[in-house]
Amino acid sequence: MSTPPTPATTERFSSLPGWMRPRDVELPGLGQLRLIETTVLLLVGLLLAIATINDVARQVHVNQRLIADLRTWRSYTGHDFKNVSADQELFGPSSQREVVCGNTSAGAPKATTQICLLIWGPTVNGKRAVHGGWYLPAKVEDERSDRYGCFGSAAERLCSR
Amino acid sequence: MSAVAQSEPLIGVRSQRWAPVLGALLALVLVAATAEIVLDAAAGLSPLIPKQPAIAGWLSPIGQRLGYRTFLIALLVGAGAYTGILVLTRAPALGAISKRSAIVLIAALHAIVFIGPILLSTDVFSYIAYARMGVEHGLNPYVHGPSAISTDPVFKYVGHDWRKVATAYGPLYTLLSYPLAPLGVDGAVWAMKLMATLASAGTLALTWRCARARDLDPVWAILAVGLNPLYIVYGLGGAHNDMVMLLAMMVAVALTIAPRASPGRQAGAAAVVVAGALVKATVAALLPFMIVSRRRVAPILGALGAVVLGALIGYVAFGVNGINIVAALNRDAAFVSTDSFANEIAHLFGKPGVFPIDHDLLKGGLVLIVLHLLWRTWRGYDWVAASGWALLAVSVTSTWLLAWYILWPLPLAVVSRDKRLLWATLVIQLLFVVHQISPLLASVQ
Repeated sequence: MSTPPTPATTERFSSLPGWMRPRDVELPGLGQLRLIETTVLLLVGLLLAIATINDVARQVHVNQRLIADLRTWRSYTGHDFKNVSADQELFGPSSQREVVCGNTSAGAPKATTQICLLIWGPTVNGKRAVHGGWYLPAKVEDERSDRYGCFGSAAERLCSR
Repeated sequence: MSAVAQSEPLIGVRSQRWAPVLGALLALVLVAATAEIVLDAAAGLSPLIPKQPAIAGWLSPIGQRLGYRTFLIALLVGAGAYTGILVLTRAPALGAISKRSAIVLIAALHAIVFIGPILLSTDVFSYIAYARMGVEHGLNPYVHGPSAISTDPVFKYVGHDWRKVATAYGPLYTLLSYPLAPLGVDGAVWAMKLMATLASAGTLALTWRCARARDLDPVWAILAVGLNPLYIVYGLGGAHNDMVMLLAMMVAVALTIAPRASPGRQAGAAAVVVAGALVKATVAALLPFMIVSRRRVAPILGALGAVVLGALIGYVAFGVNGINIVAALNRDAAFVSTDSFANEIAHLFGKPGVFPIDHDLLKGGLVLIVLHLLWRTWRGYDWVAASGWALLAVSVTSTWLLAWYILWPLPLAVVSRDKRLLWATLVIQLLFVVHQISPLLASVQ
């Protein structure tokens, strides 16, 4: 930005008022404009930084809840399986209610009959409360039509049979 | 007084002594972090690595399954080493990294990523699927999604979200990818990796040239781009066509900022921008700034000529769908990714996500930013910097933000006359990396 100012390169724009004429290089003395731009940039940067940190904290809380959910599933079923999935979509991501599914016996994910638990509430001793659940046949996704053997009052309206 | 006078050269000598050692150490750390990611990725079975043919199978016994924790630690360590190298190299008198060392280091990172598997994205398999649709199956990739070739060997590698989606890339890129289709999936993946690597080499060579033309330190400039962990791990590692787009962008910049940019060069630069937009439309953001800064007929004619030629080729090859880039852009603009700043700000204000009104607000904000930048360029502001700001604004205001999108302004930032652009680009990249770290703080297993 240290290049000395030069007049506009062509005569084509000479009819324009001075402040509208094009320039090849910026005029010196734009410190105030740069200051305003830099201030806006810093404020935007601050907003983005706060939003990012807030989102990380939010995601950490979600992860901590999911950790409690998986621990609850393993404790409830007595199976220390690694492949247990938690679904936040059934009740909505902001509901803090999850459906956690896993196999009832050892095998590849969804290769055997699955048991799904409805879990919500505060975390106590690293676990949360189970409010019901259902079974799913092997090799199916958690669709309402495939749920059977529902238990717990919370699961009744979510099951077809 | 004399003690001060004596201590200054002493510190200088000491600095000159330890700077190359520290530089070498940081370079080793960066290489090690990148190698860790690549080798662990080659071991397979990682949620971070897309399902893919075993192109790096011979590396698989060396690494362990790449988990979020290892990946994030390696990425953060790499980012730290990158920052350290840039700080050290900022003072050329320290001699921390010579020109030769810089080139060797960048080449080493490129080689490590080249021999490894595809990292962090299924996009390259979409590129191959679109090519195979056209060449092997006689289908128009601007009409059909990869699901139309569900029996093709590449289909199982295409990301689930993209299986029914027709290509959003420009017709030039689609035509460039067509010769790769007969190579088979493995051959096409290698060819895509080679294309990304060569494009990166070209981008870096032109970054060097542009930096030198603007009296900036070319070694620092290529280190800032070529060692950038997002550039290496996400951009190059995913063999994204953004690397080809960046090459076109830097060809245009190099043509324009040459000491004697003749009308022919300016027309050529504008034509190259259009060609780049026919690879990936985003680079078209450079064109208005180039035209406003030059205020000549040549770039307008060059751009118009390229648009007409590109539209003709696109129409002949793919019909009207092949030139309807606006529809594809509108479709993609409606997507929302968890990493987008718009989504993060929505969460900050207690909303579950981005709503249609937010899309309109963001578009409005982007228009205002571009208008301000155009006015500043008209009044003599560096058009390269203005283009970089525009690309940065596009990525920040996009609701569909991916790591390789925040690479777009980087080569422009290192050769621009406004250093705020580089700071802003690096801060945005840092925030993107910070946004990934939640598995480090609470890992769900």
